[in-house]
Amino acid sequence: MKDADIDADETDRLLLQRMAAGDRAALAVLYRSYHGRLCRFLSRLTRRADVIEEVVNDCFWIVWQKAGGFNGDSRVSTWIIGIAYRCGLKALRQRGDEPVDDENIPEDRIPSHDPGEDRELRDWLGKGMERLSADQRVVVELVYGVGHTLDDVAAIMQCPVGTVKARLFHARVKLRNVLPALAGDQLTQKESVP
Amino acid sequence: MKLTKDTDRDCARAWEAMPWVLQDSAPQEQSAWLTEHLAGCESCREEFAQQSRLRLALALPTDVQVDADAGLKKLLGRIDAADAEQAQPHVRNGSWFTRALVAAVLVQALGIGVLGVKLWSEDAVQSYRTLSQSTPAAMPGAIHVVPDTSMKLADWNTLLHSLQLQVVGGPNDVGAYTVVPAHAAGATDALQQLRSAHGIRLAEPATSGP
Repeated sequence: MKDADIDADETDRLLLQRMAAGDRAALAVLYRSYHGRLCRFLSRLTRRADVIEEVVNDCFWIVWQKAGGFNGDSRVSTWIIGIAYRCGLKALRQRGDEPVDDENIPEDRIPSHDPGEDRELRDWLGKGMERLSADQRVVVELVYGVGHTLDDVAAIMQCPVGTVKARLFHARVKLRNVLPALAGDQLTQKESVP
Repeated sequence: MKLTKDTDRDCARAWEAMPWVLQDSAPQEQSAWLTEHLAGCESCREEFAQQSRLRLALALPTDVQVDADAGLKKLLGRIDAADAEQAQPHVRNGSWFTRALVAAVLVQALGIGVLGVKLWSEDAVQSYRTLSQSTPAAMPGAIHVVPDTSMKLADWNTLLHSLQLQVVGGPNDVGAYTVVPAHAAGATDALQQLRSAHGIRLAEPATSGP
């Protein structure tokens, strides 16, 4: 674990201790700190903003209630994202997975500052992720987006490490087959070779 | 042939290493080895470039916009509501069935209480006595009488009737009855007549000691 991660985890643990004592200011700090990454993570499961908001709140409702029971076996972020993952799956089971197409996103939902290259990159990613199963999208997000290890992902998804490896492998094979074609010649030429 | 096999094995190793090198969580030696391999393998270079682009794209904030402040406000409202609900008395949370059940139990308890008080007050002035109960010692003019075993029931009834006596106890283990005169004033006469009557083995006042 990097030093920055250790510091962040220590801060999160302190916030959890304060929350266990009923400190709502600590809850607000932790909520804002995780909101962005949870929304991005959950957007790999569903594109519905209302469902994402509800799942984030369900997740923090549990975090608030169980803050005192956090045993510290894992990083706080692993614990919280694991709760969000399970809440997300539950919400999808209850409502049915109904991703919102980009065309249907209201104008005010699209960031006002979205440089063309980011938009292009986002579209490229979105089309690639569409080819993956929900579990594969989650693994790709957790490994590439959040930067979790295989052990962390296994803890979050509550499955063996071998299962995570298999999901990651199949996701990468699918993406390797579709992403270059989606990028087009122009994007391929833009890529610099390391 | 050997070269191809080695290349395949190295490419597989490079494939495995890419996510962790990109994460900056791979050991230094692994990162250095991958860099060296990429320099000589175009296929893996392309794959690594795509992986880098994938990581870059995944790092972008989501385009599904969710207002953090609005969400937090809702969460705090939910916590407030739960706290308020917890603070309310538990009975109020029950259904109409629970409330009806509680009312029925209260009415029953009230009824049992009233009935209990009434029965207790009646017991205090008991107006009857069973034959199995001991004869009250304080009954005025009571006489213990032991009729002969050969005495007929009809004779015994006639004698009691003629002397205006009433059996209030017995027979006990030795066959003694306790009788009382209808009028306390006639107790002495009744005693004398009993002692002289045919078929009576013993007649003694109940109040006198042995």
